[in-house]
Amino acid sequence: MFELIGGWLQRPNYIAFVLLFLWGIYIMVTRYNLVKKLIGMYLMQTSVIFFLVTTSAKRDATVPILLSTTEIIQPEVYANPLPHVLTLTAIVVGVATLGVSLALADAIYKKYGSLDEEEILKRME
Amino acid sequence: MTRHLPVILFLLPLGLAICLPLIGIRRREWCRPLAIGVLAAMVPVSFASLVGVLRNGTIHYDFGGWAAPVGIEWVADGLASVMTVALSLVGLVCITFLSSVLFPYLGSRIVPFYTLVLLLIASLTGMVFAGDLFNLFVFLEVSALCAYALVGLAGGKALVAGFRYLILGTFGASLYLLGVGYLYAETGTLNMADLAQRVPPLVGSKAIAVGVLFMFIGLGIKMALVPLHGWLPDAYTHAPDRVSPMLASLVTKVALYGWIRIMFWVLGAHAVVYRIPVLFLVGVLGALAALVGAFLALSQTEIKRMFAYGGLSHIGLILVGISLGNQTGFVGGVFYLLNDAVMQAGLFFWAGGIIHLYGVRTIEDLGRLQGGAGWMSVALVVIALSMIGIPPTGGFFGKWYIILGAVEAQNYLAIVAVLIATLLTLAYFAKLFERVFRERSAQQPAVIREIPLAVKISLGATSVAVIVLGLMSDHIVSFLLKNAVPPGL
Repeated sequence: MFELIGGWLQRPNYIAFVLLFLWGIYIMVTRYNLVKKLIGMYLMQTSVIFFLVTTSAKRDATVPILLSTTEIIQPEVYANPLPHVLTLTAIVVGVATLGVSLALADAIYKKYGSLDEEEILKRME
Repeated sequence: MTRHLPVILFLLPLGLAICLPLIGIRRREWCRPLAIGVLAAMVPVSFASLVGVLRNGTIHYDFGGWAAPVGIEWVADGLASVMTVALSLVGLVCITFLSSVLFPYLGSRIVPFYTLVLLLIASLTGMVFAGDLFNLFVFLEVSALCAYALVGLAGGKALVAGFRYLILGTFGASLYLLGVGYLYAETGTLNMADLAQRVPPLVGSKAIAVGVLFMFIGLGIKMALVPLHGWLPDAYTHAPDRVSPMLASLVTKVALYGWIRIMFWVLGAHAVVYRIPVLFLVGVLGALAALVGAFLALSQTEIKRMFAYGGLSHIGLILVGISLGNQTGFVGGVFYLLNDAVMQAGLFFWAGGIIHLYGVRTIEDLGRLQGGAGWMSVALVVIALSMIGIPPTGGFFGKWYIILGAVEAQNYLAIVAVLIATLLTLAYFAKLFERVFRERSAQQPAVIREIPLAVKISLGATSVAVIVLGLMSDHIVSFLLKNAVPPGL
């Protein structure tokens, strides 16, 4: 048991990811305000991006750029660049999603005059 | 030249989608013919790509000349080529329908509308060809974003339905991305062919099991597999009548195709994760979806909502077919997928036509037609026969091969599930037929109007297509058996 918890504590970044992810879902599920739901959604998306970045992190690693062509390549010195590239694309996707969702929330507010889900459902009747 | 055909197929709608906002500033009336023209141009290109793949084998297209595991790769094999042929044909019919004069004039919104439709088609093409998991995610999200916006376009209740679709869809996409992250962390690659080499020895590891589970739940939300289908009925019911055929026939099917790719081409056909065969799990969920979807469809009062639930049940049937673990079942499932794309399009054409021609939205109201509207009724009967599965239509042969596969696998529960789903489908169409042909509503009868040409063409094309698919089923199935069966099945 203690070993397990000790193992977890050596990877605080993964714990942070799990907390952020669950927190995002919690906000999405429990809040009735549409904008708060979007905040939860964005938190969840960001936590996944954080997870991708954290898998590539290494102690004392540097940027993966060769300073000269004759240098011997030592993979253990460099951070893995690929998750960062994925992250960039995922951020762009997340921003686009947030844009569309805010546009929808705005249109809902203009139509129903409220951002509260229960209130909107009541007015939809 | 043949090598570039898949990319050309993708660039046609994407290129126009990018140019359209510029063209639309001055020439708004060009949007419609240009969009139809591009979709029409996609049909011969997709056929040429299919022929090229059949002649020279699978096309591996490396973007920027970077070879596969490092660079981004597109794979056009037999299955992908067949899917794109279906995609471009159904897309063409759908865009003919949605440009009909039947629907309210969009005014200045016509430019973003066609841009979204073209982007949707382009991203679905990208999903079909994507050779790595992350590319699949990006195209999945682009297509989903277009779908959210198109659903919301109708205003009113559609906005709320679209918002809900967006929240759930993004949740699914995040889970999928998380699963991709797990697989990458474990294997160090994202390329599907490369993963197929590295995943099987690691299949017992926790990271792979959890990653695959996340990806399955994510894609399950996108394909509206039954316990995860919450967004679909509202979104398709309230979506503008002109776009719901396109959404219903293409978006969920291509997400399902994405899962087929991962299940058979990455995990391998007979993967067992933690003593649970993946195929078994998918088959059980599929059977559940087939029954629950058809059962819920039976209790609906709105026409579009009933068809949306019917679509859920068909997603389940396709999953039952592909999860049988033999070639017959797989091919039956894929053939049923092609049929279902046509049938869903046809049903929503019919619903859209009925709503806009006669103002009939609920099944109760169908009595107001007084048995009129002969053209619409014939189309409904043909498509419904295929939905139920009566011999000369494609739906029958799809189910037939699924059942043959189940017999081969000695999976009698799957047969029972397919048969009960068929009976339930018959029941809800019987309910519809009774209203259309027998009921004489006391309310004011609907005015029978002339049906616009585009609606006639699209309904006629889908009705003919289900019969042609049925008559050609022998050729199509043997073709799929030869060219589209995953390795190791």
